[in-house]
Amino acid sequence: MTKFVLKRLGVGLIQIVSLMVLVFFLIRLLPADPVARFVGLNASAEAYAQAEIALGLDKPVLEQFKIYLLGDEQTDGLIHGSLGNSWISGSPVLYHIGLTLPATLELILLSFLISVSLAIPIGVAGATSPNGAVNKGTLIYGLFAGSQPEFSWGTIFIFLFFVVLGVAPGPLGRISPLTEPPDPVSGMIVVDSLIAGRADLLLESLWYLSLPVLTLSFVLTGPIIKMVRENVSQSMSLGFIQYGEAVGLSKKMLASDSLLAAVAPTLTLIGILFSFMLGGAVLIESMFSINGLGQFSLQSVLAMDYPAIQGVVIVISSLTLLVYLLLDVAQALLDPRLRA
Amino acid sequence: MNRAMTAEGSSRDPTTLTRMEAVAIVLTAVPILCAIFAPVIATFDPLAVSDAVSQPPPTLRELPSLIWGVLFEQMPAPHWFGSDSSGMDVFSRTLYAARVDLVIAFSANILSFIVGVTLGVVCGFRSNLATEFIARIADLVQSFPVFITAMILVALAGRTWGNIIFAMSLLYAPIYLRLTRTEALKVKARGFIEASTAMGNRPIRILYLHILPNSLGPALIQFSVTIGFAILLTAGLSFVGAGVNPPTPEWGAMIAQGSTQLVLGDWWVSIFPGIAISLTVFGFALAGYALERRFET
Repeated sequence: MTKFVLKRLGVGLIQIVSLMVLVFFLIRLLPADPVARFVGLNASAEAYAQAEIALGLDKPVLEQFKIYLLGDEQTDGLIHGSLGNSWISGSPVLYHIGLTLPATLELILLSFLISVSLAIPIGVAGATSPNGAVNKGTLIYGLFAGSQPEFSWGTIFIFLFFVVLGVAPGPLGRISPLTEPPDPVSGMIVVDSLIAGRADLLLESLWYLSLPVLTLSFVLTGPIIKMVRENVSQSMSLGFIQYGEAVGLSKKMLASDSLLAAVAPTLTLIGILFSFMLGGAVLIESMFSINGLGQFSLQSVLAMDYPAIQGVVIVISSLTLLVYLLLDVAQALLDPRLRA
Repeated sequence: MNRAMTAEGSSRDPTTLTRMEAVAIVLTAVPILCAIFAPVIATFDPLAVSDAVSQPPPTLRELPSLIWGVLFEQMPAPHWFGSDSSGMDVFSRTLYAARVDLVIAFSANILSFIVGVTLGVVCGFRSNLATEFIARIADLVQSFPVFITAMILVALAGRTWGNIIFAMSLLYAPIYLRLTRTEALKVKARGFIEASTAMGNRPIRILYLHILPNSLGPALIQFSVTIGFAILLTAGLSFVGAGVNPPTPEWGAMIAQGSTQLVLGDWWVSIFPGIAISLTVFGFALAGYALERRFET
């Protein structure tokens, strides 16, 4: 098992390093002019040259890469665990990521919790009633919800629940702008309110998160239901399930057995969706004014803040690979055949 | 897939359409026709601003008399879907937006299909250092965070149609490459390829005549699904302001523009393009599923 994990870690590390190198050179190959963005279009030639030196863009690209990797007299490099300083704020990129990542994780984890716990029973129900209305309904719902744009449904939900019915808060972030948020410990307001023992803040933050989580969960349940439904009905036709049926096991026992056999591909899908959401959260965050990693990456990209862009890509890819690794380990624990 | 359902599907007469296939055809054909005939159907110039700012669409009660008036009494067309905060007609913009989104989505997919399938077939047929390297690069690209990568490429290269198409082609080509490569590997191992080689056919001829046509299936089915992805990505980029430049009519940009007025109760600017994109991407997803069912072996 240790060997399996180490091997996967090694492959993951190579992937992150090649991604890091690729991103570094790719953004410098593209015809963008961050210096002009930085000083403004009407800046004098001197101001432009000064800014170019300040940003380190006057040096050859390989030299820039060396500084990013190994650091120089003033700054730490990647090998010291630094992702450099943001060109816009001057603060370390890691500080910004540490500030924004918890908001994104809070949003995604809550949405996954809800969509997985809804999607699995619905998917199983669809699979265990072949040729019925439930079967057809889960199929259509899975296809529909799985294809939908979250930003369009977000607007519909805001209009319906906030403007018309008035039961949900406006798209103003994770907690009312007038409320003092709890002391940041984890950075996730829901968790921090629990730590501070403030039930009022917990309820308020859950209320503010209800619409973004509803929107994401709606989009996420689609592919998960589709996957569970297909895999369970596939494993229902496996030998040991049919044997169980012939022996006279109850429908409930058969369903749970076939669900277990369908767990592996569903876990893979959840991993893929999770990584997709990490990068794609920018849509839902900008719609509900949540200051998360997605918003930070959008601002960095629009401001051409190269160190911040590199940092975001490295962090998101590392998190993705970590999730894949955890899922692989979980699968290997569930299925000894995979421990190769 | 349920075995019983598959059996049911294969015993079907292939010339008749299932209900799902019929719905998929309608849902994909309507936006394509709207895109082609947008200048004929549209009632306003999609970029013309006017004084009629933030007008609501006609109510259901007014609708019949308005339709009668336009058809038989030479009345000027109203704003069927209302107008936005600059007085632009939402109906005409929604129609023209189909052009922008579908042209970008189809171009990106055709480009990545050609590149991906060509490389995939070669990588599956020949196994050497170069093809192994290409396959690894494709794996690496597939591990990119899609939305962020597209955002970086488009924002830094310049927010033009061409750059959106190139960025998406880069991200989607590996999907086609992988599918075709897997299929080509399977086809290569089959008897008739061996027979063809034994008969003295040159490898390039075998590649064109046998491997390519027999490995296309999964990529063709994927095409419909990826069109949906591409529409979502184009609209998503424009929604956050990293896609096409306003005031170009584009579904995502229109939804974003309308969402600021949505909280004031002006729902029509966001909701109509929202419905358009929802139905379109559902249509392509449904078409992909229906194709998969039909050609499943």
